Amino acid sequence: MAKQKETSAMEIDDQSSIPSDQIRNLKFSVNWFWRFSVAAGIPMWSVLKSRSFSSSPATQQWKLGLSMLNRSLSFSSSATNDGADEGIRSGELLKLEEVETILRDVKADNVKVFPIPKHCDFADFMVVATGRSAWHVRNISQALIYKAGSVKQKQKGSKRMLLPSVEGQEAGNWIVIDSGKVVIHALDEKVRAYYNLEKLWSTYASNQDHGVGQGQDLDKAFVKVRPKNNSKKRPSTTA
Amino acid sequence: MIQPQTHLNVADNSGARELMCIRIIGASNRRYAHIGDVIVAVIKEAVPNMPLERSEVVRAVIVRTCKELKRDNGMIIRYDDNAAVVIDQEGNPKGTRIFGAIARELRELNFTKIVSLAPEVL
Repeated sequence: MAKQKETSAMEIDDQSSIPSDQIRNLKFSVNWFWRFSVAAGIPMWSVLKSRSFSSSPATQQWKLGLSMLNRSLSFSSSATNDGADEGIRSGELLKLEEVETILRDVKADNVKVFPIPKHCDFADFMVVATGRSAWHVRNISQALIYKAGSVKQKQKGSKRMLLPSVEGQEAGNWIVIDSGKVVIHALDEKVRAYYNLEKLWSTYASNQDHGVGQGQDLDKAFVKVRPKNNSKKRPSTTA
Repeated sequence: MIQPQTHLNVADNSGARELMCIRIIGASNRRYAHIGDVIVAVIKEAVPNMPLERSEVVRAVIVRTCKELKRDNGMIIRYDDNAAVVIDQEGNPKGTRIFGAIARELRELNFTKIVSLAPEVL
């Protein structure tokens, strides 16, 4: 019985570190937890395993793709808490308002939000923010990851942490945090000027309006007009 | 199915026009590269007065292949050309704009930067 061994080891550790009047409470809580987990049908090693999960399997899981996401998450979170993970299960690791508050807190400059047009529907919103240095850019990304992982999921005690995928962490001049529905770009000032993402995405937004205008023009263009006869040859009148 | 000696079009405004694959990055003796794989390539043809020049060795990500790409849901995607995007060592694209349609598999392979520059995602 490996499980019993684990609990006894925990008790020994507790005795060595904590004064004697608290031991009884702790023992009680450990025993209670053990009983509860048995009663709920959850083996204890799975709980311990989930705590020791590092971030890398979680990110790998995310990379498996959105199609796999729903299935795997519903499988993993069915035992503990169903209500808390609903937003995460639907692919929303970070909500737009949360992202905006975090970016305000870490003092990211020039934050802009672009809705992504329908013809490239890989996400719903794109957020662009500028950092003052590579250090600052990295801090912005770290704050967002911390919010998505530790604050939102660990406190609620979900079994597995699902982290957004991060790109460009080493260089620190352009970091992309892809949290499903919202894609956040944290850029250096120079890089932002070089790639000019806002121009690209704002023109897409305005192109939709142009598309409507062009449609009207097309309607006019298709109206039948009798062609003018520009040929210099005179129509044959003698016949 | 990109292998060494395959010529590819360039799908960005980096200044290269045509690439030739010389190596596939990933495994030691890999035969073919598909969409989302990184290759080492030589610039065979370049646009004049641009930073990239002919016979320069660069890294590139394959974004379109004539060989069909199968998805789990049964969808098959096949393009008319083989095309790649020039990147640097960190994975940032050299060009600032990307042309043509791009498969969404690139996002799952951590090329979100390329996907966010693309005009259309399939």
